[in-house]
This record gives sequence, C-alpha cells and structure tokens, in this order.
Amino acid sequence: MDGQAVYFDGQTNRKHSVVLRIADRLEIVEQDAVVAVWPFADVRLADGPPTALLRLACTSALPLARLEVADEATKQAIVSHCPLLAAGRGGSQIMRIVFWSLAAACSIFGLAAYGVPAVADRLVPFVPQAWENRVGEMVDRQIRFFIRGNACSAPEGQAALATLVGKLKSAGGIDNAHEPLVLSSKIPNAFALPGGKIYVLDGLLEKAQSPDELAGVLAHELGHVKHRDGMRKLIHDGGTSFLIGLLFGDVTGAGAVLFAGRSLLDASYSRDAERDADAFASQAMGKLGRSAAPLGELLLRIPGAQAKGISTILDSHPLTEDRLEALKKDQSPVTGEVLLSNGEWRALKRICRP
Amino acid sequence: MNDQVAVPSIALPNRVSFFDRRSDFRRLVFRGALLEFVTVGFYRFWLATDIRRHLWSHTSVEGDAPEYTGTAKELFLGFLFAVAILSPIYLVYFLIGLEAERWKAFASTPLAIFYYVFFQFAIYRARRYRVTRTVWRGVRFWMGGSGLSYAWRVALWSLFAAITLGIALPWRQAALERYKMKHTFYGDLAGHFAATGGALFKRGWLLWLATAIMVASLFVVISMQIDALTATWPFVQLLLLPFIYGAYKAIEWRWWVSGIRFGDVSFESDVRRGAMIGLYWKVIGWMILMIIVLMLWISAVAGIAYVLSDFNGPTAQKLISLSQQPPVLIGLGVGYLAIVLLTWMVIRIYLIHDVWQRVAESVSVHNVAAAYNVTTQGSLVGALGEGLAGSLDMGF
Repeated sequence: MDGQAVYFDGQTNRKHSVVLRIADRLEIVEQDAVVAVWPFADVRLADGPPTALLRLACTSALPLARLEVADEATKQAIVSHCPLLAAGRGGSQIMRIVFWSLAAACSIFGLAAYGVPAVADRLVPFVPQAWENRVGEMVDRQIRFFIRGNACSAPEGQAALATLVGKLKSAGGIDNAHEPLVLSSKIPNAFALPGGKIYVLDGLLEKAQSPDELAGVLAHELGHVKHRDGMRKLIHDGGTSFLIGLLFGDVTGAGAVLFAGRSLLDASYSRDAERDADAFASQAMGKLGRSAAPLGELLLRIPGAQAKGISTILDSHPLTEDRLEALKKDQSPVTGEVLLSNGEWRALKRICRP
Repeated sequence: MNDQVAVPSIALPNRVSFFDRRSDFRRLVFRGALLEFVTVGFYRFWLATDIRRHLWSHTSVEGDAPEYTGTAKELFLGFLFAVAILSPIYLVYFLIGLEAERWKAFASTPLAIFYYVFFQFAIYRARRYRVTRTVWRGVRFWMGGSGLSYAWRVALWSLFAAITLGIALPWRQAALERYKMKHTFYGDLAGHFAATGGALFKRGWLLWLATAIMVASLFVVISMQIDALTATWPFVQLLLLPFIYGAYKAIEWRWWVSGIRFGDVSFESDVRRGAMIGLYWKVIGWMILMIIVLMLWISAVAGIAYVLSDFNGPTAQKLISLSQQPPVLIGLGVGYLAIVLLTWMVIRIYLIHDVWQRVAESVSVHNVAAAYNVTTQGSLVGALGEGLAGSLDMGF
C-alpha cells in the first residue's frame, strides 16, 4: 500500500513530501524516485507529538533522518509491519531501575551503618595526636565564636578545679587531656573537643549542687577524651555526609530519605558513645570511692531545651531513658573521702564571680 | 486515504504553540515523584528525560515539534563520572577548609566562591548537553565554547554586579547570553545574541529602584527601631516580592527572546507580567498550604507519642526523649517526605511546565524562511556537565 509522509533526510532540514511504499520494506518515494529504503526491522519510534503524528527513525539510516506520518491508515500499516518499533524505548525497565536503586541504597546504607563506624574506630588510633590537636583548634575557634563568654580564672576556683580533675585523671588513667576551661556562659552544658580540651559552662556550675555532680560531668567528658570520641565523630560524620552528599546530591526525595536515615544513624552512633562515656565515669568515680548517680540527677535537673545552645529534634547529646536508668543503678557505696572540701567547692562555684 | 501532508492544524504561522493535556503532565510528575521516592532519588534521571520529552514534543514551531534525543542512561552515566571526578575534589576542599578554619573561624567561607565558579562551569556544560540533544526538522542544535571561560566571565561579572549594587546586572546578563549564543548553532546556522544590557536596564530599572528602596527601608525601620513597623514591614515586603520577581521575570524573558538570532531568524515574545506573577502566587499558595498540613501532622505525631509514652520526668526531657524514638522519627520522616514530594510536584508543574508553556506560547518567529535550508553540523557532547551540576546543586 502507499501512504503520505513528510521526510527529513538527516542532512538538511528541508521538508520532503513523500509517498511511502509499504511492500517488503519501507520505500520512501519523492516525485516517483526512491530516495531511501528502510528495512522494517530497522524502523524505530522517535520522540514526537504523541497524538498528532508518528515520528520514525531508522537504525540503518542517518541518525537524524526522520519520517513523520499523520494519517491513521499509514500509521497502522507501519505499526503492523515493523516488529521492533518500540525497541529501546524502555517501557518495562521501571522494575529494573527500582531494583538496582534499592540495591545501591542498601549497599550505601550498609556502608554508612557498619562500614563508616568500623573505619572510624580503626582509623582513630592511627590519627597522630598532633593532627587531632589541629582539628581541635579549628573546632575551638568556632565554639568560641558561638559561645560568647570569657574564660573564668579566679585563682582559688582554678585550684579547686585542678584538684578535682587531677583526681579524676589519675583514677581514669588519662594523659591526653588539657585542663578544663570554665566559660562565663549561662548555658548549662559541658563538652570535650578533639585534642582533649574540655569546656565547662558557668550555667552548669550554677546548676550543680555537689562536687560529685560536677565530678560526674567531668569524668563523662574525660571519658570522651580518653576514647577520642571527638575525632571519631568527626571521621564518622565526615564519612556519612561524604557518602550521602555525593551520591544523593540534590534535595529531592532522596535527600529526604537520607536525612531521616542519617539522623537515625548518627543518633544511634552517638548514643553508644554517650553510654561508653557514662560507663567510664562510673568506673572512675568508683575508683575514687564515689558514685556516678549524681551525674544522672544533675542531667535531670537541666531542662532539655537548654541542654544545648540550639535545641534540635535530633539532639546529638541524647539523654535517653536507658542512660538515666544505667546511671541510677550505679548505687555503689560511697566509701571514699569527699573530692573537694566545702571551701574548695564554694570557690569553684564562684570561679566566674569571685 | 487522506492526501493531506502532515501538518498539525493547531499551529499558527510563525507563532510557536504549546498544546498538551495538563493532566498528562500531572500524572507524569506524580508517578515520577513516587518512583523517585521508591528509588531513593535515582529515578530523577528518567524523570528529567521524560519531562523534557514531554515539553519538547508538545511545543510546535511552524507546525513542527522539536525532538529531545537525550536519554536517561546518558544522564546517569554523567552522574557517575561526576561522582568520580568530584570525590577527590571534595576531599581537597574539605582539608583546605579545615586548615583555613584552624587559622581563623569562618576563614573557609571564601572557598564557596570556588564552588560557585565550578558550578557555573557545570551549568554551561549542562546547557551544551541539552542543546545538542535538541533536534528540529531532522537537524540538531549544537554548542561549542568553553565552560571554563564561561565560568570566569560569570565570576567577574557577578563581582562587578555586586560592587555596583546590582546596577550592572543587565549588562552581566547580556554579556553572558552573548557568550552562550555566540557558541550556539542550529546545523550550519550560527546563533548570536542581539539584545543589549542597556535595553534590559531601560525596561527593568524601575524594578531595581523598587528593590533598592525596599532594602533601604528595611534597614531604616530596623535601625531606627520603629516599633509599629518592625513586625509588619518585612511581612509587607514579603507580599510585594512575588510581584517584583514575576514582573522582572516577564521583562527578562521578553528581552531574552528578542535577543536570540539564528542567522537571519529572529524572535519576539509578548509574555505578560500578570501571567508570571500569577504563577508565583500559585506556588506560594501551595507552599503555605503544605506547611500548614506539615505542622498539623507534626503536632499530631508528637501528641499521640506524648499520650502513649510512659516516660517519667520533666516535660522538656520527655519531649527530647520522645524525639529519639524510632516510631516518632519515622512518623515525622513520612510527613516530611510527603511534603518534599508534593513540593517537587508543585515546582515541576508551575515553575517548569507552566513557565515553559507561557513563554513558548508568547513567542513568534520572524523570517523563519531563513532557516529553510540548513545543513546538519556539530557533534554530540556527553552529559558530564549535567552530572556535575546535579551533584553540586546543593547550596545555590
């Protein structure tokens, strides 16, 4: 049969009005001369206006040679003659895409959940202390930018703090920690930086009611220093953001899934670190004949929203129920002598307001 | 048998038309958003290709629809190459940033400039990819030029525009368009850009003035602490913003279209300001609605968890403890995800489809006969640029 079509030869953009001869091949005839022959098996659909016309290409012709067929009878004749019309248009590949995407996601999640923490654990012992100190200095500058407070230096208070920390350090066998620094900030918090610097904010000193409570906090932070948690967290967070940021770059649905997943991973990871630091605090306090239970009491007294300068729904310093329970359970008998005398404790409490 | 040559009857001579069923596109992006979710985002390459195919093939220039010949596989490969190239760059970037921060807090901020310039490079390469995948009447468009030299132009012009408080912006636009169009071809028909920065300035200076006055008045209100205005004034400005932006976009589109030349073929657009402003308001309306729904959802999840929890302790501690529970996190995550997917649907429908439609329909082509006998030329370029732009498109 014959049909009408518009033909583009793939070399110029001239529109050729042609006749299609559909016999054993597709013959393209212009003014009674055959200008091109397309074998049926080579004819493919090209992308075009879906309702108006059928746009065709041919694998054995020039890559941009096109036929455009508008009338229904010719369209149908072509559809029935060309067996591979829709080949390579990928109708059924959705399931394949879904499968491989999920496989990739599983592998990346697995890497983030197990690989990255394992790498962080293995890598930390090999990070030279000097490097960690450099990173610590960097974090330090940012912290001091956000927490605007002066370092408190009342001499009696400093002496008392040094006594307390000295006892804890020898009980815990720690040699890589700096002397803690008290900042005159009203935020009730304390934290350890990579490199071993420890900050105690005056807001926390105000809330603390006994030397043991403060000692618990310090011991907890010393635990982080001993385990080099700051450095470990840096490697861990860097690794997961790297994986996630790079592979799922944009903020489409992917970013959202990974935001949720990442937060869960980070939260569970830091929960472990917190538990370990608590265990270290219990041990150190136990060696001094004191209990870590007051640490739990102090943490309970600090309103959660204030515990960090900025409160987020996914607090990286989580006070979970099991953590509180574990601390409460530490009811080892108090046998040792008090860590600070009354005078020393008063001086320490007033380190920022001599 | 019908003897008519295939020319769709919808096309007016010399006028570009766009004709589709909106519900088709809605279904396309809805399905795409769901699949994007299921495939943790990997479907985006296929969706982007489908969207382009839809837009290209429903547009008609002198009765003939362009054809988009790009494939999702190319985009995916481009993405993989981009990952391979970016990995070491990220690491170096991170280490330099670390050292800079150690020296001084936030000393690494200028590194963002490098990132911005690199992003421009990627954008140029991405444009090259899309242009070489566009075919009209069996002849492809193509593009040369260097992404690097484009990126430097953007950097210097942006600096200049910043120094002049935005007055130089029209000339920046004109210079960049000139560079892009100078290297764009349709077959052997060379493109260039004929519109000037001065022309854009003449049409847009009132809007620039309005923006300058708004920013200045905000400073005045805040620094003088006029109590009655500090709360309401920013809000009023927020309401004005879509009008100004929409009007500017309409002006910019008209100016841009009027500057495009391929040989002796020229173009003209009469897109209305109202059409653009209306689109932005629709997007804002949907966004507000979705934020309200998200807030309701969050309070519902938190409320249910609060009632069901047996945590004993102060309320604040209880809330923090609740926010750590996996079921709560999952509940919040699902709500967040649904909103993100809907947001992308809204953006794709209004800011991609509708903007395309309104601009396309507003264009008329002059002297199209000058493009009647064009010979094919130029070669394809890979999709690496798209991959880079996609991976970098986080901060800008």
